[in-house]
Amino acid sequence: MADAQHQLQALSDEYQKLQQDLQNSINSRQKLESQQQENKGVQKEFASLKDDANIYKLVGPVLLKQDKTEAVMAVDGRLEFIDKEIRRIEKQIKDVQEKSDQIRSQIIQIQSEAPQAAAQAV
Amino acid sequence: MASPKGQTIDLATLTTAQLSQVKKQLDDELEHLTNSFTQLRAAQAKFRECLRSIAGGVTPKVEGKPILVPLTTSLYVPGTLADPENVIVDVGTGFYVEKSTKDATKFYEAKVEELGANLKDLESIVQGKSNNLRVVEDVLRQKVLSASSAASASTSTS
Repeated sequence: MADAQHQLQALSDEYQKLQQDLQNSINSRQKLESQQQENKGVQKEFASLKDDANIYKLVGPVLLKQDKTEAVMAVDGRLEFIDKEIRRIEKQIKDVQEKSDQIRSQIIQIQSEAPQAAAQAV
Repeated sequence: MASPKGQTIDLATLTTAQLSQVKKQLDDELEHLTNSFTQLRAAQAKFRECLRSIAGGVTPKVEGKPILVPLTTSLYVPGTLADPENVIVDVGTGFYVEKSTKDATKFYEAKVEELGANLKDLESIVQGKSNNLRVVEDVLRQKVLSASSAASASTSTS
């Protein structure tokens, strides 16, 4: 009986930890999403610009003039990186969800067995 | 969003504890959405402010006239507008693009419109969620009321 309680405690601790992980991953996913949106907006804006448009990049407190091709490449590179990160985080989220589902079913199983064990003990 | 699609549950079959959980979840979602709504509103107002600034501050009319340029919120230096035709627009992620005032106005108008469309979408979502919340609250209230009347009935009979 104490054994089952021990196990239950360990499982619920782990479950809580996984939920925390899940929350963290979801937060990073949201951050990536907003970065992706912003970069997509910039990409769209660049696409509508003339090739000789003056583009500046904010570096610290100063604006540096930049070539359009260079700027476009930088944004494309960023979007590619963000895409990869999003895929990575999504996989992470899926893994954590699967794991926490497993633990939840284990907890439910132990909980449903516990009353029977208690009844037998009496 | 959270509930699986294509599966309907009669709210009346849920226990009060489950109902309050649903209510809490809806409350959280609603709060999150209203926050986003306020943020979008603020962003839209900011772009509108930019439009006004271009219309009133960057025109050939101002050329040659002295203006006060804010260096900080409390320190100003006198200056004149060197180029009344072009402005530099922050397009996001640290990139700035030089645009003519006409193009910049178009840019900001498009932004305001885009945000307006988002706000409209969000508004209908918020409305739907509020409706859901109201229904859940109604059912919850009925449950609590009937439970308390049943409890008082059983105590009076015993």
